[in-house]
Amino acid sequence: MILHVDMDAFFASIEQAINPRLKNKPLIVGSRNSRMHTVVCAASYEAKRAGIDSGMSSAEAFKICPNLEFVPAEQSKYIWTSRQIFKLLKEFGFEVLYASIDEFQIDIRDTQNPGLLAEEIRRKIRAEFSITASIGIAKNWLLAKLGSKLNKPDGVTVITEGNLESVLGCFPASKICGVGKNTAAVLEGLGVKTCLDLYFKSAQFLEQNLGKYGLNLYVSLHSIDTFDGVGEPDEPKSIGHSYTLSRAIQNPQFIMAWIRALSEMVASRLRQDNWEASTVHLWINGPEIGNFRAQKAFQQPVSDGHEIYQRCLKIMAKFSPKIPLVRALGVSCSGLAKSAYQQPLFREQKRRGDLLKALDNINSRYGDNSIYPAIVQLAQ
Amino acid sequence: MPARSCASTGEVAQQTGPAKKMKHSSFKPEARWDRAPLPDGSGHQNTDSVDEQIEVLVLFKGTKILPRIFFWNNKAYKIKKITYNWQERFGRETVLYFSVSTGNDLYQISFNNTGYNWKIDKIIN
Repeated sequence: MILHVDMDAFFASIEQAINPRLKNKPLIVGSRNSRMHTVVCAASYEAKRAGIDSGMSSAEAFKICPNLEFVPAEQSKYIWTSRQIFKLLKEFGFEVLYASIDEFQIDIRDTQNPGLLAEEIRRKIRAEFSITASIGIAKNWLLAKLGSKLNKPDGVTVITEGNLESVLGCFPASKICGVGKNTAAVLEGLGVKTCLDLYFKSAQFLEQNLGKYGLNLYVSLHSIDTFDGVGEPDEPKSIGHSYTLSRAIQNPQFIMAWIRALSEMVASRLRQDNWEASTVHLWINGPEIGNFRAQKAFQQPVSDGHEIYQRCLKIMAKFSPKIPLVRALGVSCSGLAKSAYQQPLFREQKRRGDLLKALDNINSRYGDNSIYPAIVQLAQ
Repeated sequence: MPARSCASTGEVAQQTGPAKKMKHSSFKPEARWDRAPLPDGSGHQNTDSVDEQIEVLVLFKGTKILPRIFFWNNKAYKIKKITYNWQERFGRETVLYFSVSTGNDLYQISFNNTGYNWKIDKIIN
């Protein structure tokens, strides 16, 4: 059996625990300090009830609910709490996996009373952190995750062979993780309306209508999951960072400074895990250009922020000689391979390598961003 | 969520009956965020920032650090409740944060375990 823990409005709940004045009030956590020019990272249940949800612009959220409370996100609180909850879950003696910053999966094997275990987990989380979690239990991760969503907030749903039909029959197929708007519309056209309808469709039917995704969906819905001999973590396919500016900006120096900042963040993570990347991707969003995405594969793999930045500039120059109006941008690298040390052929290459090592040592000792390229200052 | 590979129809029967092994995801909580402070300081500034050194009377209880009274601007502030606490690493330093209530007001104070100094970071509205 898999037990899926899903924290309720995680970031917003932590902020409400910190500041009791915010309890039972509609609250949004914004990705940046500027309350009218940011994106909703998390919304409290009181805000959700008013129709506000993650991903919405804060301006839109304030329009819906003018008396909304606002707190800018502070990542350290959420990361620390997530790590502590992971530790707390491990104390129950089962294997625990991270599903996301606020979701955890536990293989509870054939525990006799899983409902009681779920209650104990919820009680401990509430006592330790003053926040709540919803829990789903089922034979596999997909149904367990679905269960965690059915009785939110602060609820438990156990899906067994005995109640599977009555539980799944009550909810639309779009409740299942991975079934988005488009897939739900396709399914509805095929007469698949509820989770139960989907559950009872054959592998062949789902493959015929949804392709490989349909087949994987079938497998995920019907499998009996276990962590036995759990494999090594999947290696990442790409590493990237993106950022939404507070408004659309055309200043070339500012945009280039941001591309450099994001390139440095990506490069730092590449070097930390000893990766090199052969493909660089650039994403720019703006009111005139919409979403511009381009990538280029290079013969020589990189893990140097300056080099990634230069490659981004090359990609951008091909797109347009003039910097467009930019609202959001992102840099990512793929084609990852473990870096194999080779004695540099040229003196300049060795100097550059030594410089990166020195910069990494300084940032590791004194904290991220203790030293960074001067151009990044232009983004201020 | 655990990653899984695509299956072909022929494999389905084998995969649905017996137990299926799940894979570790490569997820790390830190990776969700831009780790470095962003150039425009987004999300890191606070208009109620104080950032001043303070003196603190502390109870060390087991492995827990429980601030009881802090002294700021020649005034003693009795802590009635620690509403939350968390930690953050900056290179080799670890900073322990506490949001504390004095009854009427709420403050964020912090302890740097390398410099052994306490600070009042901000007044929480």
